[in-house]
Amino acid sequence: MKKRIVRCLLIVIMLLQSMGMVGCKTKTEKYSTYSFDYFDTVTTITGYAESQEEFDEIAEGVLAELAEYHKLFTIYHRYEGLENLCTVNETVDGEHRTVTVDRRIIDMLLYAREMYDKTDGTVNIAMGSVLSVWHDYRTEGIDEPWSAKLPPMEKLTEAAKHTDINQMVIDEAACTVTLTDPAMKLDVGAIAKGYAVEMAARSLEEKGISGYVINVGGNVRTVGVKGDGENWLVGIENPEEDGGQAYLAYLELSGESLVTSGSYQRYYVVDGKRYHHIIDPETLFPSEGYVSVSVVCKSSADGDALSTALFCMEFEEGLALVESLPDAEAMWVLPDGTKKESSGFANYKKETTK
Amino acid sequence: MMNQEIKTTPTVKNGGRLFRNDVIFIVALLLVVSALGLCFYFFRGEGDKVVVTVDGKEFGTYSLAEDVKVEIRTGAQNEEVNVLVIRDGLAYMETATCPDGICADHKPISREGESIVCLPHKVVITVYATEEEDAPDIVV
Ligand SMILES: [Zn+2]
Repeated sequence: MKKRIVRCLLIVIMLLQSMGMVGCKTKTEKYSTYSFDYFDTVTTITGYAESQEEFDEIAEGVLAELAEYHKLFTIYHRYEGLENLCTVNETVDGEHRTVTVDRRIIDMLLYAREMYDKTDGTVNIAMGSVLSVWHDYRTEGIDEPWSAKLPPMEKLTEAAKHTDINQMVIDEAACTVTLTDPAMKLDVGAIAKGYAVEMAARSLEEKGISGYVINVGGNVRTVGVKGDGENWLVGIENPEEDGGQAYLAYLELSGESLVTSGSYQRYYVVDGKRYHHIIDPETLFPSEGYVSVSVVCKSSADGDALSTALFCMEFEEGLALVESLPDAEAMWVLPDGTKKESSGFANYKKETTK
Repeated sequence: MMNQEIKTTPTVKNGGRLFRNDVIFIVALLLVVSALGLCFYFFRGEGDKVVVTVDGKEFGTYSLAEDVKVEIRTGAQNEEVNVLVIRDGLAYMETATCPDGICADHKPISREGESIVCLPHKVVITVYATEEEDAPDIVV
């Protein structure tokens, strides 16, 4: 009789095990952490781990890597004993120096040049002179909103004369970079975040880690699938409070990136009108074609560059660019609320009532 | 002991089939376990929560079901203020002394994963809706 009970119990346990209700499979839980230290935005790391300690160790590794890229790519801070893009932008006696930099800076600049070509000049890291004018006016306008002003057009057009990416001379073998136009400056704001996120994500992948999401200011990169083997569900926030859809799109991701460029993410107000931070290289003003553009693709670096480029491109032109790339999909949201999608975007969408 | 062993041997010989009693026993056990599982599933959550963090550290947790007004004071002299309001199941930043005011422009939130960020004050407000089905892992 005893043996029979034991046998029945065994069968029940086996049944339950096959249903995933009990078992020796180690249970992982979801953890997350925030940081405000990198790329002037908020970083969120979410992951499935067996313990808080395990999660902390991995998250700290990711944050440490992001910290390194932040120091190398920032144009606003210099660090003792480090050549970074801030020191590359500096002039000494009216000239830029030839600066020997970390290999990671060279790799990123070469990537940026590649994206310049791919986007027909829409993503241009040599736009620093123009963007710094906007940066100054925006910062002043935020600090003293009652006297917020737009930059005068003459100032912008003057700055725009010094945005030729070919004046950025890179010597790969020597790891040096020289800006040959003394008035030019680099600004990698459209690329750096996504690039750094991609590098940090690849480090995790090389270590065989999965079940994590790195999100730096809307540059989302999933690393593998969730702890339970399911795809990540990612909602793209509907910035409008229209009582209808909570999400503009609801996506299932398993190792891809999602990058959204939105006019609502960073802006300042002049005479009651919002001016956001994505500057169209043609008009030298914030691009007004879309509320947001979201890109899904493998690399978060591509996603960052592409979403910025599409934000400043006519829809037809942008669509042609996306369709020419094998693994990129996009969704455009127009100011009237209309949504447009590339041909394969729907493949990532999950049906939901939300 | 010996006796019992002999008694059970025939079942194995009969092609290893189970007795009716065994089946009843297994079904009953499964029912009990799944009932327990269901109870666990329904009572695990404490309801929807709003978690406030300042510079990554937890500041406080509030129920989305209870109306409340919270002053989130930050900065060296506690001079920076964000006022979080929870009303009718919605959480929003009523006012903020931050320079850009973007957090106070943000629409009210109530769904799992939704958040409001105040970059200048390093404040993040996130909704954890424990019982929402098909809830997103990330909202951007
Ligand atoms: Zn704020």
